[in-house]
Amino acid sequence: MSSRTSLTLPILAGLWILIVAGLAILQPSAMALSTVTTVLQFSTLLALVSLGQAMVILGGGAGIDLSVGGTVSLVAIIAMLLDTAGVPSFLLPVVCLVAGTLLGLVNGILVTRLRLLPLIATLGTFYVYSGTALAITGGSAIGGAPAYLLPWGRGTLAGFPLPFVTLVLPLFVLAVLLLRYTAWGRWIYAFGFNERSARLVGIPVDRARFIAYGFSGLMAGLAALVSLAWLGSARPNIGQNLELTSLTAVMLGGVAIFGGRGGLVGVLAAVLLLVTLQTGLLQLNVNTIWQVGIIGALLILVLLVDNIRMIRRTA
Amino acid sequence: MTPPLIEARQISKRFGALTALNAVDLTIRSGEVLALLGDNGAGKSTFIKVLSGAHPASDGEILVDGRPVHFASPQDAAEAGIATIFQELALSENLSIAENVFLGREMTRNVLGVPFLKRRAMKRQVTGLLDELDAHISDPEAPVGSLSGGQRQAVAICRALNLDARLVIMDEPTAALAVAETRKVLQLVRRLADSGRAVILISHNMHDVFEVADRIAVFRRGRKIAERERRATDPEEIVSFITGAHPDVRALEMQS
Ligand SMILES: Nc1ncnc2c1ncn2[C@@H]1O[C@H](COP(=O)(O)OP(=O)(O)O)[C@@H](O)[C@H]1O
Ligand SMILES: [Mg+2]
Repeated sequence: MSSRTSLTLPILAGLWILIVAGLAILQPSAMALSTVTTVLQFSTLLALVSLGQAMVILGGGAGIDLSVGGTVSLVAIIAMLLDTAGVPSFLLPVVCLVAGTLLGLVNGILVTRLRLLPLIATLGTFYVYSGTALAITGGSAIGGAPAYLLPWGRGTLAGFPLPFVTLVLPLFVLAVLLLRYTAWGRWIYAFGFNERSARLVGIPVDRARFIAYGFSGLMAGLAALVSLAWLGSARPNIGQNLELTSLTAVMLGGVAIFGGRGGLVGVLAAVLLLVTLQTGLLQLNVNTIWQVGIIGALLILVLLVDNIRMIRRTA
Repeated sequence: MTPPLIEARQISKRFGALTALNAVDLTIRSGEVLALLGDNGAGKSTFIKVLSGAHPASDGEILVDGRPVHFASPQDAAEAGIATIFQELALSENLSIAENVFLGREMTRNVLGVPFLKRRAMKRQVTGLLDELDAHISDPEAPVGSLSGGQRQAVAICRALNLDARLVIMDEPTAALAVAETRKVLQLVRRLADSGRAVILISHNMHDVFEVADRIAVFRRGRKIAERERRATDPEEIVSFITGAHPDVRALEMQS
């Protein structure tokens, strides 16, 4: 598509090699299969949430979902509360998917029906969702996730965490196919870039955006499920910072913040890069506050490079 | 006698207190290029937006093949064979030529309810259309963002042809084009009419209009104040209608 996308992957790969090389020099003991597993394990939550975020942003109209982190936390709490209240445990995955989708559709209604600016609407629901999760639990975790989930949540296949293999990879493949090879995919790019023309040809823009917010919620619900299966408990702050890191992943991955440009392969690559960086910094005992700062700096750097290229191209 | 392709009767359009169109009658016949002329704000764009279903009329009716129709949206008009190329060319620059030509009505194959694109079939059809138009665009997979203004008009016209349009409406298609490209687009307009379609062309350029139109209608302050066969008029007369210097216009405006 744009020259932006074609350069995204090489840039990300280069940065990734740089990070891994730096870590190999500074902390040789970190070079192990277990580190790969850890990185992918942490990547799973971020990858799922970033997939939803990417769809919302691709769809344009100033689309953004700041509520994803709050959604993950609240869905995890709701699911465990219902579980302890006696709802059959085998329904827990369904509860996660349904609750996530519904919370996402609330954003969809605020944006497409009530015409609120997505930034404001989802900032509002972010506070409501994450606040509710904290208020219900008083800040403490709810333990006792169904035992049948744990082998899946903690298992690995040739070093790859099962949730990554069974959820993240298939979902990204499906989403890439959808964007590239179906009429719906073309429509998302069309209205993400030029809403007016898409409306003129009769593309149901509002319905599609409504669905995109629902999809983002669904992905957050899946992330909540993975967190339960992995940690064995619902933490009211499990989604903390996911809105910012997913946004960073989407933009690093080459999706234009104004919509209509970019692809999902870059987003997945950016997720892996970000989590590798975080894990590396952790291994080097860099404290979390610095980690967030470094990721922010990385984002600004990439956007600057992008801007310079844009200026060159238009000049 | 067969009824005309399109007949607009007493079309009015009000935006609040502003009357953008005032009881306009206009007939459009197949195989004919009808040019709409008039000063900025005369109501030309509003008129074609009513015809193309983008705005509902406040009053009046539209007949297609002699039958009254009601357009709630541009899709309704498209179903009736009216395709509009809006002044702000409604193309997606991030998509390819073929994707733009088919946008919103892609050729698809349903797999489990998911509409997968038939890329090859669409590409073949667009290549055929581009050839038919002699548009000198070789690659239907090229992004529209990389095309010149004239080529974009050709893509928009392709889109109209692909809808099997019987009336193609073009709002200032040459406004932003260089001379050579303008010639090209005017040739396209002529070819559309010669193939039996009707064309409505809005333009500010008297020279273009006299080169390509069969009939000319002049709008002024929301009214159609004159209509002439091109052969029966000349640029001076048309200009005097547009500016209001023509005695007929003076008389008309005195009354109201
Ligand atoms: N959507 C709208 N809302 C309010 N007024 C409009 C709208 N569209 C056009 N008008 C007004 O209607 C009049 C006719 O405009 P238009 O049809 O665009 O003229 P033209 O295309 O001949 O230059 C102008 O006074 C314009 O300001
Ligand atoms: Mg106009």
